[in-house]
Amino acid sequence: MRALCWTGVNELSVENVPDPGLLNRQDAVVKVTASSTCGSDLHLLDGYVPTMMAGDVLGHEFVGEVVETGPDVRERRVGERVTVCSIIGCGRCHYCKEGLWSLCDNSNPNPGFLETSNGHAGAAIFGYSHALGGFAGSHAEYVRVPYADVNAFPVPENVPDASAVFASDAVPTGWMGADLGEVGPGDVVAVWGCGGVGQMATLASLRMGADRVIAIDRFPERLAMAAEMGADVLDYGDVDVLEALKELTGGRGPDVCIEAVGMESHGTGAQYAYDRVKHALRLQTDRGLSLRQAIHACRKGGVVSVLGVYLGVVDKFPMGAVMNKGLTLRGAQQHGHRYIPMILDRMSKGEIDASPLLTHPMRLEDGSRGYELFKKKQDGCVRAVFRP
Amino acid sequence: MLVAGAAAVAGIALVRAARSAPPNPDGWFAVTVETEPSRLTGPDRPDELARLSERHEVRIKPAPGGRGSEIAVREADGETRDRVRKLKQLLETGEVLLVDQQPEGHRTPLGRVGVPAFRHLTRKGVR
Ligand SMILES: NC(=O)c1ccc[n+]([C@@H]2O[C@H](COP(=O)([O-])OP(=O)(O)OC[C@H]3O[C@@H](n4cnc5c(N)ncnc54)[C@H](O)[C@@H]3O)[C@@H](O)[C@H]2O)c1
Ligand SMILES: [Zn+2]
Ligand SMILES: [Zn+2]
Repeated sequence: MRALCWTGVNELSVENVPDPGLLNRQDAVVKVTASSTCGSDLHLLDGYVPTMMAGDVLGHEFVGEVVETGPDVRERRVGERVTVCSIIGCGRCHYCKEGLWSLCDNSNPNPGFLETSNGHAGAAIFGYSHALGGFAGSHAEYVRVPYADVNAFPVPENVPDASAVFASDAVPTGWMGADLGEVGPGDVVAVWGCGGVGQMATLASLRMGADRVIAIDRFPERLAMAAEMGADVLDYGDVDVLEALKELTGGRGPDVCIEAVGMESHGTGAQYAYDRVKHALRLQTDRGLSLRQAIHACRKGGVVSVLGVYLGVVDKFPMGAVMNKGLTLRGAQQHGHRYIPMILDRMSKGEIDASPLLTHPMRLEDGSRGYELFKKKQDGCVRAVFRP
Repeated sequence: MLVAGAAAVAGIALVRAARSAPPNPDGWFAVTVETEPSRLTGPDRPDELARLSERHEVRIKPAPGGRGSEIAVREADGETRDRVRKLKQLLETGEVLLVDQQPEGHRTPLGRVGVPAFRHLTRKGVR
């Protein structure tokens, strides 16, 4: 089959690779009908996530059709259309049972690396390096899905691929961001980053009854998309974000600060230059600009909800602000399984439409070009989605 | 090939993983398993647990808060740690998860050696 492979830092190529088969009794094989680019892939592409090897198949946000099931698959059926969660859970360890699916004990067969760097390893993710399981990704014609009964979710007939594909990753991630912040009526929420994840965090916060959502980015089309949903927007290239947030919140600061940027945060000024150099020299593993800003801006006693991916250590972490302002700092890889059935149901009822994120439908063969548009945010690209 | 730069981090972790097998030779390697202690101590405890007990001191305790059982194995080398993890998977999910026959694109000569070597090291793991 054809698959989009990572071949080196900022290098991709579409190659012929062997078809996947059933390796475990609870596996299914899914024929991919749409597979999206995600900001998380950029960290792989840019070489910040270790343990990628040339030849690894990329992609983790996808929808498709079940074409084969192992003998112990009970719920899923051949022919079913399914959204597959980007995070792989087993469904039976303590964490999965508690709904903390991205902390699954069993889905990552290669836990040693993360145990060394973080103390413990979490769940595996499709197409996301050998340290996160070494599972082949979804930018391919077919993908093997382990523990298919718990990781693949049937898609209601009236939900098109263009929306269902994002129920795999961007929507549940955004939803979790608001959920971890316990967003509710009366809250002012600030969201850093208006990529797919930030857009969906904005949408979720509004659905949960936030009084006001302030979305922060620098790309006009992304800010316009957030404004379209009902957010107020700030262009961090234009305004001093900290000043503006104080002014917009009567001096309090936002009740919930959702960080949807991650370790390659962009910025302006001396702090950004400092971060950039240290990051490039690998003296810090993550650039923390937007995270620092979220902590600084957050109201006393507020919640900072971290969706952006961080890998290791952040320099100049404002611990004083966290402690002295009594902040709650939360974050996780998405616990998608907790939200996906509800999200697909709301999509079916017309309450959530994620399809505006799909700005660039493309052939798998154009994978390199798709990532280039997505990475450089060219041509208004929010997410390029491949149809293998 | 391992990613440039990140390779430094990966390299350190791998070297540490290789060196620290086990970090404390007399120490215990412990996992918590979502199962009743009675399933691990009775006459029909899993065969693998019986085999582990032949070579190692094995301690089974109920985990606090209804979180199942703690299995601790003494003087667990890398192979043993891998066996204990697999036992946990088997008890919780009914099978041992495989990733060795995945679709993959062209591997460099280093990748052909590196992928299996990485898997081997990271399964033995560290604590
Ligand atoms: N927690 C999870 O499970 C999960 C799931 C998916 C993605 N992610 C992570 O979420 C982050 C965003 O993903 P995405 O797909 O939306 O990526 P994206 O690249 O499409 O969007 C990131 C946005 O952040 C903006 N940005 C950069 N620096 C900023 C700053 N200082 N202030 C405000 N905005 C800034 C960029 O302009 C861009 O629009 C990434 O780190 C990704 O890895 C996490
Ligand atoms: Zn993602
Ligand atoms: Zn689990």
